[in-house]
Amino acid sequence: MAEVSIVNYGIGNTGSICNMFRKLRIEAEVVSSPISLSKAKRLILPGIGAFDACMRALDSSGLRDPVLEYASTQRPMLGICVGMQMLTLDSEEGTMPGLGLIHAHTRRFPDGAGLRIPHMGWNTVEWSPTDHPLAKELANDSRFYFVHSFRVICESAENSLAVCTYGGEFSAAIVSGNIAGVQFHPEKSHRFGLRLLGNFASS
Amino acid sequence: MNSLRPRVIPCLQVAAGELVKTRRFKDPLYLGDPINAVKIFNDLDCDELIVVDIRATLDGREPDYALIEEFASEAFMPLAYGGGINSVEQVRRILSIGIEKVVISTAAADGELISAAAAVFGSQSIVVSVDVRKTLLGRREVWTRSGTRNTGIEPRAYAAQMERYGAGELFVQSIDLEGARTGYDISLMKDISAAVKIPVIACGGAGSLEDINLLLQSGSIAAAAAGTMFVLHGKHKAPLISYPRAAEIAALRIPAKEAVI
Repeated sequence: MAEVSIVNYGIGNTGSICNMFRKLRIEAEVVSSPISLSKAKRLILPGIGAFDACMRALDSSGLRDPVLEYASTQRPMLGICVGMQMLTLDSEEGTMPGLGLIHAHTRRFPDGAGLRIPHMGWNTVEWSPTDHPLAKELANDSRFYFVHSFRVICESAENSLAVCTYGGEFSAAIVSGNIAGVQFHPEKSHRFGLRLLGNFASS
Repeated sequence: MNSLRPRVIPCLQVAAGELVKTRRFKDPLYLGDPINAVKIFNDLDCDELIVVDIRATLDGREPDYALIEEFASEAFMPLAYGGGINSVEQVRRILSIGIEKVVISTAAADGELISAAAAVFGSQSIVVSVDVRKTLLGRREVWTRSGTRNTGIEPRAYAAQMERYGAGELFVQSIDLEGARTGYDISLMKDISAAVKIPVIACGGAGSLEDINLLLQSGSIAAAAAGTMFVLHGKHKAPLISYPRAAEIAALRIPAKEAVI
């Protein structure tokens, strides 16, 4: 049985996430049905593009409720990029509500001179606490590849696992119990991303 | 902080499945196995990689999906692929393999594919290649079909049009300087960057880290790409893959006043 299951609801780069687990020699599978999703040991929720388009696609795939049911089982779950934003309560990018699994909001970047959107490229993040299982061996000198036009702000600092600075601070990683999300693309972040996905697979 | 450190991007050319390097878009020099090159750049922790099949459109071929799949399985950084792409379906297939971005040149000209692909996959996945050549009188024009068809369009106007169609980035190459190792056409890059809001990846002419630094000091370029500098070594052009160390790249900074991503 696969160690990691990646939700396929029609949007999201499942190919490159699978490639990275192959490199890690960790068995990963893409799941498209409620039954296979319910059997997952660990679940990844990917997402790219527009927030509403992702939420709608999750709805119409029939996987929204299975994802929420999975989340309530206390098994590990990781949202990536828009997949992380989908874990929050809402997004200024759209009108659809988020899954609301983490008390955070997806907001615009501040309007400001010189700030180009999307935030695209490599940036460093600061982990806190540094001893969280996802952050293992990443506390010093880790950098990740970001591509996003909206950013996540947590209601409470305890849900913010890593922060990044671009036109002000935002959460680069969020956590609430078994649920976590990362704004950057670990599957495109070399050895730092390998480490993070490896950490997730051993959580 | 509003500025990201600029990206430094090797640009690899393939033809008939082999790694090659041209000069002024001509005279491809055979260099070896492109999959191995991608693997080495991955091991060197490069920021991002662009791979362009320079023959696909000229030969009327589909993208080589088997080869692209091999690239994707070796590249754990953002990878852009170009060459022979002329339909949304092809874009879908390439992105689903695990490629981050597609580079479109010839098929970008009429705008339909760019708009359609950006609407489906988001602008961040769509890079338009703007290949520029100077006429004898110094006028700049955009060329397509690997530098064999002159659109006659002035690059700033072309770039702005591509941004309106939905391109997320522009990959601007100066054909005349390709392989010259004498430095970038900084004024061309500044002109185009000033005409658009989307990031400009500059390519053509880089011979050293100093050339990259000079380009980035000009203040408005998001990324510096280079081919020859990262795949050939010395005046005898020995194939040798190299990439700056992390500390050298970290030292590159766009001046804060005109920061871009």
